[in-house]
Amino acid sequence: MSLSLRWKALAVALLVAAGANAFAQDAPVRIGYAIARTGPWATGAQVSQEPNYIMWADQVNAAGGLNVKGKKRKVELVGYDDRSETETVVRTYEKLMTSDKVDLILPPWGTGANFAVLPLITKHGYPMLAPTATGRKLLQLKSPYFFALLQQPDVMMDALAEYLAARSTKTVAFIHVDELFGLEQASALEASLKEKKIQIVAKKSYPMGVKDLQPVLNEMKSLNPDAFVSLSYPPDTFLVTGQSKAIAFNPKVFYAAVGTAFPVYRDKMGAMVEGVMGLGTWNPKSSPAAKAYFDAHVAKFKKEPDRWASAHAWAGLQILQQAVEKAGVDRKAVRDYIAANEFDTVIGKIRFKGGENISTPGVVSQWQSGEFEVVWPPQRSTSASLYPKPAFK
Amino acid sequence: MTMSGFRERPSRVTIAALATGVLALAVAPWVLNEFLLSLALTCLMYAGLAVSWAMFSGATNYLSLATAAFFGIGAYVTALGYESLTYPVSVFLGGLAASAFAAIVGVAILHLRGAYFAVLTFGLGELVRHAITFVEKKYSGTVGRVLTETPEAATVYLTVLVVALAAVAVCVAVRSSRFGLALAGIGADEQRAQTLGVNTRLVKIGGFALSAFFAGALGAAMAVRWTYIDPPAVFNPFIGFQTVLIAMVGGAQTVAGPLVASIVFSLLTELLRLQFPYLFLIILGTLLILLVLYLPGGIASLWTRKRAGKRDG
Repeated sequence: MSLSLRWKALAVALLVAAGANAFAQDAPVRIGYAIARTGPWATGAQVSQEPNYIMWADQVNAAGGLNVKGKKRKVELVGYDDRSETETVVRTYEKLMTSDKVDLILPPWGTGANFAVLPLITKHGYPMLAPTATGRKLLQLKSPYFFALLQQPDVMMDALAEYLAARSTKTVAFIHVDELFGLEQASALEASLKEKKIQIVAKKSYPMGVKDLQPVLNEMKSLNPDAFVSLSYPPDTFLVTGQSKAIAFNPKVFYAAVGTAFPVYRDKMGAMVEGVMGLGTWNPKSSPAAKAYFDAHVAKFKKEPDRWASAHAWAGLQILQQAVEKAGVDRKAVRDYIAANEFDTVIGKIRFKGGENISTPGVVSQWQSGEFEVVWPPQRSTSASLYPKPAFK
Repeated sequence: MTMSGFRERPSRVTIAALATGVLALAVAPWVLNEFLLSLALTCLMYAGLAVSWAMFSGATNYLSLATAAFFGIGAYVTALGYESLTYPVSVFLGGLAASAFAAIVGVAILHLRGAYFAVLTFGLGELVRHAITFVEKKYSGTVGRVLTETPEAATVYLTVLVVALAAVAVCVAVRSSRFGLALAGIGADEQRAQTLGVNTRLVKIGGFALSAFFAGALGAAMAVRWTYIDPPAVFNPFIGFQTVLIAMVGGAQTVAGPLVASIVFSLLTELLRLQFPYLFLIILGTLLILLVLYLPGGIASLWTRKRAGKRDG
């Protein structure tokens, strides 16, 4: 080998090393989102969603960065307050996609806000894994970039009806909130109960923001149903629980939909929640992965994640992370990878079909001595159900 | 306030500046990126809302909080009719529906004054929200409506621009008309205006309905941006509060005041929201308090005061 060749080889080696070094300190992967920090949506968003984003970015960065096709790059979150306003949600995602030109996005909180972002993610080609948006209407829009992590209303209501049938429940009385989610759940519940030949003895609805449900609950109590189901939102879920206790309405099954999975429900209502059922997916006993997630969350924020959507939000981040590892930050490739593969997550395996998470089954959870135990389906259960529910304490 | 504000005639320089401004606004869709365009859209929306609000409430001193109701009615007209009507038609009908609603409730509530009127108009938003929820659930089995195939961003922007400009033009025209003088007369002393032969009842209903038209049309125009329309989202009381705030901060007795304030306020809110994500409401609140304390007549008093000073000297 001549001297000049050796020099050339050295120069090439140096260049390669410099290149590798440049990659090692590559620009961060910028991930943008808008979420409610103020306004009425903030309660849900700050329990189930944004804390997960922050914790995930911190964990990934502490581990040296996000694995982008084998290269480690730091994560930089670009998060804005959407003030619980649809127009601001739209404007902020326009900013993220066209002005900030972020590499990837994370979803806003709630079904309405996700609807509003849908045309933008489709137009600009940003995959979005949504942990707090549910409803067949969203999926019917068929955005190829939209992935819903939560169980759909019909899936959840099927699970409830199966549980009730397994307990040979004969009669159900239910109330629901007049809002997309409440109505969709109500019609799903009716269909599921009919299929199981369980009689609906009463069905009532109430408007959003209701302040008193006692007359309705009195009527339900007078019918003495085996099970009472309240397809309600957080403020009403608290209201229904408190007022049912006040009138000593003690059916064998007491189910309230959204909000029961929040730790604040247990903390605020106290002993009253014992035996109350609701929408949930998991708890720290579900798996070692769930336990690790729970512990990390408590250590970081000094507050517990909720037992439904929080873990779905975490699962969405895990899916994104795995997809980026294989497909890089080419958003089309990330989308295709998410659509075509199965992922290991904190709530078990997840696979999407038509944007719907078809792996996570409908779950019924129940408060038992301070934990929201999964009591249905049997293969996901962390505890046997308390049946009949003990009277309100 | 003095009546001098109503007799001002714009100078040639003002007209030239206005024409340039309108031209600049009209070409925005081809110059600005998507985000800046929607920021401009927000400014225009609040400009239209605040100017039309001031046209009635500023002149008559009837503090209306019904803007959210009118805006929501317009939005719902789009939600219901967009598939069968074209976009401009739904915008126009949205305005008409809000106007008709304002005229009907105006007959019932415009004899109230002060806090009673304010509280009642605030209740209108809730009333319409629950009424729509009830009707929708009863007859269509759902409460939310999904809009697909929505118009381009440029189309929405230009439509909102046209509505906002129309609001400004109508407001300017009204102020120099007998109708406008009657509205101002009601604001100064309703009893006196009545004694002097003004049909205050009719004038108030007319003014209320006219100002509602623009709020309704703007609601109808903006609704297509949200894909999913349900009552809690479109009957957002925040929109009503913000409109009143902007008009007050700008100077509700003028046209230029609310106009300037809507731009300043929208841009400032956005800047603070993006730059100080956790502090923006505190900063915004402090700024508003300072403004009210040191500029009680609104931003408009900056130039009306100066002009008055010149005249005196």
